[in-house]
Amino acid sequence: MLIDFLFVLVGGLKFGAIYALGAIGLVVIHKATKTVNFAHGALIMLGAYVTFFLLELFKLPYWAVYVLAPTLVGAVSAFLEFAILRPIRRADMFIVIIATVFLAIALQEAVRLPYDVEMLAVAAVLEGDPLFLGDLIITQESMWIIAGAFLFAILGALLFAQAGLGRSMRAMAQNIRGAQLCGYSVDGVYVFAWFVGGGLAGLAGVFSAPSLGVSPELMVATIVPAFVAAVIGGFDSLRGAILGGLILGILENVAAAYISAGLKSAISFLILFAVLMIRPEGLFPEGRVRKV
Amino acid sequence: MKRDGTGFRELAAPVLLVWAGAAASLFFDRYTQYVAALLLVAIMVGVALVILVGLARMITLAAGAMMGLGAYGTAAMMVHLDAPFLVGVAFGTALGALGGLLLGLPATRFRGHHLAMVTMVFQFVVIIVISEWDSLTGGVEGLRMPQATIAGYALKADWEYVVLIAFFAGLSILFAGILIRGHFGKALKAMSATEVGAEAFGINVAGYQVMAFVISSAIIALGGALFAPEIRILDPDQYGILTSVLMLAYPIVGGMTSLWGGIIGGGLLRAGPELLRVVDEYQELVYAAIVIAVIVFLPGGLVELYSRVAAALGVKRTKAPPPDRPSAPIRAAALGRVAGTHPLSDPKGLVALKTAGVSKSYGSLKAVSAVDLTVAAGSLHGLIGPNGAGKTTFFNTISGFIPADEGTIEIFGRRMADEPARTRIRFGVARTFQNVAVYRTLSCLDNVIIGLGENDVVASLWHSIDEAVGGRASRGRRELALNALDAVGLANVADEAAGSLSLGNQRRVEIARAIVSKPKLILLDEPVSGVGAEEEERLKELLRSLNRELGVTMFVIEHNIRFVVDLCERLSVMSNGRIIAEGAPAEVIKSADVRRVYFGEG
Repeated sequence: MLIDFLFVLVGGLKFGAIYALGAIGLVVIHKATKTVNFAHGALIMLGAYVTFFLLELFKLPYWAVYVLAPTLVGAVSAFLEFAILRPIRRADMFIVIIATVFLAIALQEAVRLPYDVEMLAVAAVLEGDPLFLGDLIITQESMWIIAGAFLFAILGALLFAQAGLGRSMRAMAQNIRGAQLCGYSVDGVYVFAWFVGGGLAGLAGVFSAPSLGVSPELMVATIVPAFVAAVIGGFDSLRGAILGGLILGILENVAAAYISAGLKSAISFLILFAVLMIRPEGLFPEGRVRKV
Repeated sequence: MKRDGTGFRELAAPVLLVWAGAAASLFFDRYTQYVAALLLVAIMVGVALVILVGLARMITLAAGAMMGLGAYGTAAMMVHLDAPFLVGVAFGTALGALGGLLLGLPATRFRGHHLAMVTMVFQFVVIIVISEWDSLTGGVEGLRMPQATIAGYALKADWEYVVLIAFFAGLSILFAGILIRGHFGKALKAMSATEVGAEAFGINVAGYQVMAFVISSAIIALGGALFAPEIRILDPDQYGILTSVLMLAYPIVGGMTSLWGGIIGGGLLRAGPELLRVVDEYQELVYAAIVIAVIVFLPGGLVELYSRVAAALGVKRTKAPPPDRPSAPIRAAALGRVAGTHPLSDPKGLVALKTAGVSKSYGSLKAVSAVDLTVAAGSLHGLIGPNGAGKTTFFNTISGFIPADEGTIEIFGRRMADEPARTRIRFGVARTFQNVAVYRTLSCLDNVIIGLGENDVVASLWHSIDEAVGGRASRGRRELALNALDAVGLANVADEAAGSLSLGNQRRVEIARAIVSKPKLILLDEPVSGVGAEEEERLKELLRSLNRELGVTMFVIEHNIRFVVDLCERLSVMSNGRIIAEGAPAEVIKSADVRRVYFGEG
């Protein structure tokens, strides 16, 4: 009994870690540019495709993929900011959101061009013997995803919080004119935020490629959990997004195991709706702003 | 006789054009007719989304779900209850309207990305329910649509569906056109220009948003219901998130704020995939690229492209805009007409506004603390105070935008218990805004018509119909508004967009909008901030004569001391959330207390 539950828990942690990584990128972009990127799932999907290409076609080792894939996806993301979102920065927020929705569709269709198959498979990172913790069996792959994805998510969050960049991004999101007057380059920071956010999405793609499979469906399969994790966290809290990813991953797996498999897809929507209705500021909001 | 209504021609033209297109398809093969039916449904979706996305500015990722509700509602009625086709269609449409209500009620709390997510949740939940509820919907296997018959006549051929759908598409376009061009659409435009400014004149923003959801969902569901027999086997995928996203593009590509935008966007974008069969694989990529290109390069959509091209070719005669200058400071005759045949009874001696112990705190900051203030009816009463004195907060508690923590507010003896700002107009209170809050995209005339305050959601639907047929009531409203514009000297720019006027004239539009409902009390929030000295003088004359001719009480917050001392009969001074002095203006500003806190003397 307990062992079954632990097994479910580990499965939940594994997906939770990927969700957290996805959500962090979303939050970084939102914090810096006040834009919610509906193309984020498509960037994660792109990361998974890049993983496939580098690994299976170029036969690169996995460590190289972990460096190259985030860099490439980050570059694509920065380019999208530069080429498409910059010209409409002054438009209604509403238009920007719609633009990212269609960017998502465009990216999803673009990856179909070279390989129009439903699902591509990539090898696991670690294929050694599983670990036996008493009766609990954990594959090395799961261990790596849980440890690695969380590590990167936390690193990303720390980097953002500590670096001067984090401060300039936050300054800009609060008051774009003020930040400009203080000598911050808005264009530079926007592109950089999209690069970092996109890079984190690419990383999430590398982590999800072996376990979720490489397919255009990955776009929807990851955007919804990333949103839910970010919303649980309050959309502006990096710590909250990590916790949100964890909570969602575990709840999904518990619901699927103990209630019904069909509930797994519904649970994220239930959580999203419940949090938005009851506590739109999230469960872990970052520092309350005093309204005067 | 000159027709004052929206104009039958403008309403009928799109309907007739769409019907002509549908009729033309009857001369071609079955495939063309099938495509024509598809396009008619897309046009219905396009006009429905112009209302919701373009005018109410609500993002929706749930259009596919609404269409699914229409189709499945129809099919389920026919399969399980043996209902006739048209009964099924009616049920499906009602189901769509109900879906719009269920989504609209929570959705109005959100804007931007939160709203997009809430509608996305609705979209996915509807599809999950359809997929899982096998016994009712056939689940993922699909549901076979029974043979549709109308009064014993079995609909089999594609052309029959073209005729059927064209009939309902025409009605939908007409209905949408009446709403978009009429009072309902104007109220939506007013809301999207300034929600605060809309609420102040009785527009229930949330109510309008819910109604926009209901109406647009019903039209989309009707389209889905009518087309269901052509699909033959319904399956949930057809109504998925991708469908929703693709349909969201209709109003954006066509042009978000006009009926034509919905028609053109829906028609062209739905036709695209059929025409682009050759590039089958890239269809959606091309589609997304087109949408992004329009967003970046052509924010007004194809409708804007048309008017630009037409202007360049000189097809459309563009008359030079009239000079943006008030014709005269005051028009006594017009003023008399605004007052009407029954000028307001002499209100001297009554109390217009009385506050007792009004307080408001933000955290530990006491912005307004126990303010007692009395404004005599018919007077010009000013309120000044240094920055941060709490004037604006106090003003907002009176106008209903901020609930006071403590204290009572009475307007003409009537206690304002936590009533929202939009009800103030019913009690005879109108206001102007420090940062002008005109409805920029509406004409000056329409701004003032909204100022009449008859902006109830349901009433606005009737107003729209009345306007379309040039009814007596809407002609009356128009005349009242013209008089008010004339009274402030703006009759010559009645048809110009309010946002295109100079700041001083936008302030005049606000004043006209405030007086047209013949209020008893007008709250003026810094009426001359940002205007030049000459304009300041003219506005002062205008306010004075309005006060004199209409007998309306005016309560003015102002930074400009010279202006307020000149204008007002009585002056109160606020500092640190309290009233520190009150009396005749010339004496008040001489008092030592006032000089100390306000001018830093002594």
